[in-house]
Amino acid sequence: MSSNNPLDLYRKMHDEAQARIKSKEDKPQVLIGTATCGVAAGALQVRDDFVREIEEKGLDAEVVEVGCIGHCYAEPLAIIAKPGFPPVCYGYLDEGLVHRLVEDFLGGDDPSYEYALAALERNDVFPTFEDFPRGIYEEKLILENCGFIDARDIDSYISREGYSALATALTQEPQAVLEEVKAANLRGRGGAGFPAGLKWEAAIKSGGNEKYVICNADEGDPGAFMDRSILESDPHLVIEGMILCAYAIGSQMGYLYIRAEYPRAVRHVQDAIDQARERGLLGSSILGTEFDFDLEIFQGSGAFVCGEATALISSMEGRMGMPQSRPPRLASRGFRGMPTVLNNVKTFAYVPLIIHHGAEWFKSIGTEESPGTAVFSLVGKVANTGLVEVPMGTSLRQLIYDVGGGLPGNRDFKAVQIGGPSGGCLPESALDVPIDFDSLHQAGAIMGSGGLVVMDQDDCMVAVSRYFLEFTQHESCGKCTFCRIGTKHMLDTLVDITQGKGDTETLGLLEELAEDVRDGSLCNLGRTAPNPILTTLRYFKDEYKAHIEEGRCPALVCRDLILYYIEPPKCSKLCNVCVGSCPTEAIFTREDGLKEIDQEKCVKCDNCRKACPTEYNAVVKLSPPVLPPQKEKAVK
Amino acid sequence: MSEYVNITIDDRQIKVRAGEKLLWAALDNDIYIPHLCAIREKERPNAGCRLCFVEIEGDTRPATSCTRTVEDGMVVRTRTPRVDRLVKTAFELILSDHNLKCRECPANRNCALQTIAKKRGIKLRQGRFKTIVREFELDESPDDFAFDRSRCVLCGQCVWADREVAKTGAIGFANRGLNRVVTTFRDRPLAESNCAKCTFYADVCPVGAFYYKKAAE
Amino acid sequence: MQLLEGEKELILACVDEVLSNNSKNRENLIPILQKVQVRLGYLPPLAMEKIAEGIKVPPADVYGLATFYNQFRLNPPGKHQVKVCLGTACYMAGGDITLESFERRMKIKESETSPDRLYSLERVACVGCCTMAPVVVVDEEVEGKVTPTRVDGIMLALNEENDKSNLEQEPEQGRMDSDELK
Repeated sequence: MSSNNPLDLYRKMHDEAQARIKSKEDKPQVLIGTATCGVAAGALQVRDDFVREIEEKGLDAEVVEVGCIGHCYAEPLAIIAKPGFPPVCYGYLDEGLVHRLVEDFLGGDDPSYEYALAALERNDVFPTFEDFPRGIYEEKLILENCGFIDARDIDSYISREGYSALATALTQEPQAVLEEVKAANLRGRGGAGFPAGLKWEAAIKSGGNEKYVICNADEGDPGAFMDRSILESDPHLVIEGMILCAYAIGSQMGYLYIRAEYPRAVRHVQDAIDQARERGLLGSSILGTEFDFDLEIFQGSGAFVCGEATALISSMEGRMGMPQSRPPRLASRGFRGMPTVLNNVKTFAYVPLIIHHGAEWFKSIGTEESPGTAVFSLVGKVANTGLVEVPMGTSLRQLIYDVGGGLPGNRDFKAVQIGGPSGGCLPESALDVPIDFDSLHQAGAIMGSGGLVVMDQDDCMVAVSRYFLEFTQHESCGKCTFCRIGTKHMLDTLVDITQGKGDTETLGLLEELAEDVRDGSLCNLGRTAPNPILTTLRYFKDEYKAHIEEGRCPALVCRDLILYYIEPPKCSKLCNVCVGSCPTEAIFTREDGLKEIDQEKCVKCDNCRKACPTEYNAVVKLSPPVLPPQKEKAVK
Repeated sequence: MSEYVNITIDDRQIKVRAGEKLLWAALDNDIYIPHLCAIREKERPNAGCRLCFVEIEGDTRPATSCTRTVEDGMVVRTRTPRVDRLVKTAFELILSDHNLKCRECPANRNCALQTIAKKRGIKLRQGRFKTIVREFELDESPDDFAFDRSRCVLCGQCVWADREVAKTGAIGFANRGLNRVVTTFRDRPLAESNCAKCTFYADVCPVGAFYYKKAAE
Repeated sequence: MQLLEGEKELILACVDEVLSNNSKNRENLIPILQKVQVRLGYLPPLAMEKIAEGIKVPPADVYGLATFYNQFRLNPPGKHQVKVCLGTACYMAGGDITLESFERRMKIKESETSPDRLYSLERVACVGCCTMAPVVVVDEEVEGKVTPTRVDGIMLALNEENDKSNLEQEPEQGRMDSDELK
């Protein structure tokens, strides 16, 4: 009996997918995280090692590539699922460990728990991720599948109820989808937190038959990789979200604007689109209904400013990615001059979950004003770097110390940078700020797209500001005066300060200009470009003053204000490591056998300090760059 | 919808066409607002020079008048401390990237920058920002006119004339950020482009970047 | 840069093929430029002019786009491309020191190609592997935790590869020379 009810069609598709996936689970499976971060750590080699070892031992086990499970600090990672055992996750894999796991666990019955990070299902033998502090605070909604499903096999997604939200929605009026998203108060995860439902509603009200849905995956913030991970690890979730949006607003065509720097994400999404089309989930008559919608990828060509909505549209229209003044808003005049909904990858990813579980469920997570979760790429001086998802309202302290495991090696926390070049640096005193759109904004930072970099006493706040200004100045499109020329002068001033130049007026002028660029720029890239300066001036002014007034960089970072020095009492005359490590032959052996650095030749590359054996630690950095008096006695 | 609306600019009540942008409404009524990049015929304002700020009652911050459509009952001020501060900074930023040898410039005494300085009482030789003018090769290849990039303020008037009036497509913008320039395909001399004879650029350039060779003599 | 006769034909054939496989409207301009660059490694002037002609936009606009976006290259890349990531995490972990080490070893600056066209060096904003900082992309391979010492190792491996491919070519070269002598 054939039925045109989308739910019936879906059920059949789901049952077949589940049967196929379950049949695979009868034999042992090795799931390897081969997202870009895993590949960088050597995951492809690990995959080949598993395949070879399994083959050599004549075992019946399958090796599957999955996405990112978020515990990037322990890459390369794999999960071994063997019937009769809880699935176990192993990290820091290498050839030796692979050999052992294949022999003892796949071949024998010893899961080698001493090498395991955690189990993935509750059991009596070994703790799960939920038993660690990170697991207590983490709540995975849009990352739930990441790292557990085969991104390139649509059945993997369907067997976990994927596309069921779409099937349900198709039995209702489009209005119902809109109402649910509005009721959930889903706020855009691209940065500003504008309610997605209101955006969609505006596009509907603009009327007309031609409307577009665009997913902004031009993740350009240096230090952020959430969108890449989601697209690589669970592309169908985003695609389903886009289809639901298209159904709600009445669109027939959508685009995913993905950075060309993310080739793996592009491939995975393209595969997912092709498979969805084959199953009748994209294209004409979706799930047997009269609803038509298709998707295409547009590859961004490397311009940070294209993350800005109007610039993104300009670049899709074959022009320079330059922002336009608004209004008109995209919802009334966007791509091809037609009503357009543009949302971030993560925003679309929440939609199927909201339709599936309902708005009330979504609102029960997070805070009242910012429901749901926040996804961060946690990097910098933190023990457990990786991709994390926590409910809105979690404090920065919990995120850094409990989820991230704190700073490695008992180092002192100095600041946390949130929101990339548009965000700000927050100090220790702001660590109890809850993570939500409005609280972070008040503290001077922004949620941004979710990059979070932890910094310690060895990071210089002036240098960090300079770094971000270098970035925004380089990425400024050049259209408006404040951003084009203003960022250049701000950068020049910061460079001066890192070189110890400047006087008491410098900081006042810098702050004045930063405020004007914030208030006067055309688009959000320019308006937020001064944030790194404004927040560091607000919280770390003393560091700026030390540079200007004392010619000293307290963190020993700014290279014009430091020198490298070998402390004679600590130097072992018998060791030559530093001499060999120096790329410019600046280190020589004195007549008395001690090593010394020729300051003329030294390029301050830090090689010798890293090379000096820890039992001596004789190489030190001094700031201000003045040698201690005993230097005079040295004979070359 | 009524064809005209009433607005108040600097305590003066004026009647202007509905749908008009505030900048043009003011200029038509002899109320001065500084501007460089605004082109009346252009459907979507460029909004790049950031000189035409005004304060509108009810708004939280100054707005560019070239992008704001007039609304009935709008109350506008062209001079407030916040407006003056933004305009002064934007203007001084532009000056820091402009070759200020006015005496050698064919546009001397007929220059949009001099007009703004005079009307708003801002010194041309500003002291806040270091000059960042770069050296460019002077393009004197066409018979009648020349192009000195060190004077260009990127207002886009010449590119608009090239596309919409001359309809040649010989020049356009290239590069990004501070390196943004008006140029030809691969920075070739103007004489090698298909626009060597047209003098529209010199007619519309407000600052003497494009100029008639005769005027420079 | 002067094009050889063979190169010119190659460029024209490539542009023709890409243009015939894509509808010729402005919306396709960036995808077309991307496809041509994938094949040729860069955007030769001739290709830009032909594309402009095909899509009916002023060549100045094609040039504008090619110079606006980071992705597009106007000069042929080196045989080996090294991209040093200077995203936040990489910068904090000393990415600038890594970049300098490459500059010293290759004797070129960032965004340059060595005179023998063996190497080109670029800085990139973020390749999204922040947990492996500092990261370098050598040709297509992502390398994590690249210290100045590792830079020397990477250069050594690249040099060895170059020497090897030179050795393989040399006998052929020698034969050609002797043929000419006759």
